[in-house]
Amino acid sequence: METKSTSSFTNLVDQSVCPGDVVLDLSKMINQTIKLGGGLRQDCDAISVMKAGRLRFSKPHKYWVENSQKRYVPYAEDSVLGIVVDSRSDNFLVDIKGPTLAFLPVLAFEGGTRRNIPRFEIGTLIYVRVIKANPGMNPELSCTDASGKAAEFGALKDGYMFECTTGQSRMLLSSPTCPVLDALGKKLSFEIAVGLNGRVWVDAASPHTTIVVANAIMNSETLSGAQQRIMVEKLLQRIQ
Amino acid sequence: MAGKGGSTPATYSPSPTTDKKKPSLFNEDLARPDGRSFHQCRPAFFRTGAVNAASGSAYAEVGNTKVIVSVFGPRESKKAMMYSDIGRLNCNVSFTTFATPIRGQGSDHKEYSSMLHKALEGAIILETFPKTTVDVFALVLESSGSDLPVVISCASLALADAGIMMYDLVASVSVSCFNKNLVIDPVLEEENGQDGSLMITCMPSRYEITQLTVTGEWSTPKINEGMQLCLDACAKLAKIMRSCLKEAVSDSQE
Repeated sequence: METKSTSSFTNLVDQSVCPGDVVLDLSKMINQTIKLGGGLRQDCDAISVMKAGRLRFSKPHKYWVENSQKRYVPYAEDSVLGIVVDSRSDNFLVDIKGPTLAFLPVLAFEGGTRRNIPRFEIGTLIYVRVIKANPGMNPELSCTDASGKAAEFGALKDGYMFECTTGQSRMLLSSPTCPVLDALGKKLSFEIAVGLNGRVWVDAASPHTTIVVANAIMNSETLSGAQQRIMVEKLLQRIQ
Repeated sequence: MAGKGGSTPATYSPSPTTDKKKPSLFNEDLARPDGRSFHQCRPAFFRTGAVNAASGSAYAEVGNTKVIVSVFGPRESKKAMMYSDIGRLNCNVSFTTFATPIRGQGSDHKEYSSMLHKALEGAIILETFPKTTVDVFALVLESSGSDLPVVISCASLALADAGIMMYDLVASVSVSCFNKNLVIDPVLEEENGQDGSLMITCMPSRYEITQLTVTGEWSTPKINEGMQLCLDACAKLAKIMRSCLKEAVSDSQE
């Protein structure tokens, strides 16, 4: 098997990689610890890629492959937008765009007791947090943050929900603020909830504003920061 | 009828006059019907993201063979299926009614579906999606020879586009045998007149073969030569596939 030198890992950071690419030869590394994230696997003395994307690095020694896809793979502590598809006695079944439906226990709400069980109609859009995501099991959700407070979680009323790729939803949640949201926020007032599962909910005072914001976000996926700002300016010029 | 004895002979042997020589496909200067040399592949073109509704998709054009593959899932396996610690792969290959020269013969191809499944399951890390199924639907838009290798290569690209965990991309190439000549990437006319065929599906980065299909009579040296031809072509094809995938990744994550 062809392997590259130790320096090749740093050379490949932020570069596009494909399944089968060997990104590191472990036999040439001495007394070094590295952490492998999603998309990488150890194959004897080599670290190889399992999915197409960009190789990312975070200090001190974490490496992973970041990619954009339409399907969502649930991970614990992800905030997602789910749609209630069924209601059971002890939990709600929620579609989070994952391989299987997720469970939202009726007690997983702030001050949740048997007496004040929330009632969600089928089709309700909710902002939830993934608390368990084990392979082979349905993910478990919660409508509270780590401290048990409702925070921003719960049902989302009114507004407009659209879908994008998981890569774009990460971009919208990145800090510093994504250029498209930054540019829109300076001119328009709106409320937005972004789920890491590739669902975005937008609400504004007028439907007109909601549509402009949604279209701007949908168009921004393949644009650079500067292009996003120009696109927003052009959109706003047309509607004024 | 089997019941009436004596009226028809029990065996049939062709008379010398009916044993006509097979017409030669090749010209005197050893050129193929489409003008390629024996060891030259057709030009290949790949593109991902062809189907918007699918989790991942790819379009492939190799010569005049055009294929589109859509991948759906991983999605929950049907309740009727037994629990499985590893994921399931469901493959389906079908032809459009206008794919072949004889119109109206488009249908599901069970044999190709089974071979596609065999070729891909060795490359996919099925343990990463237990209890779920990945569906691969391939549609041959135009058939002009070497359909299955193109379908397999295109399906591998579609799976990578869908974010399915794979050991490596899968490339596939076939070789046809004519008397003493080996012809790589045969077209339809060549496939109809071949003495034997060899198809290799491999993971080029890992030097692993996921499927090997041989039909007809082959001598050991010929098989070795054919395999080497296929493996070299697979490595070149994989480079094209990788560049296509990397281009798609850099476009979506600028």
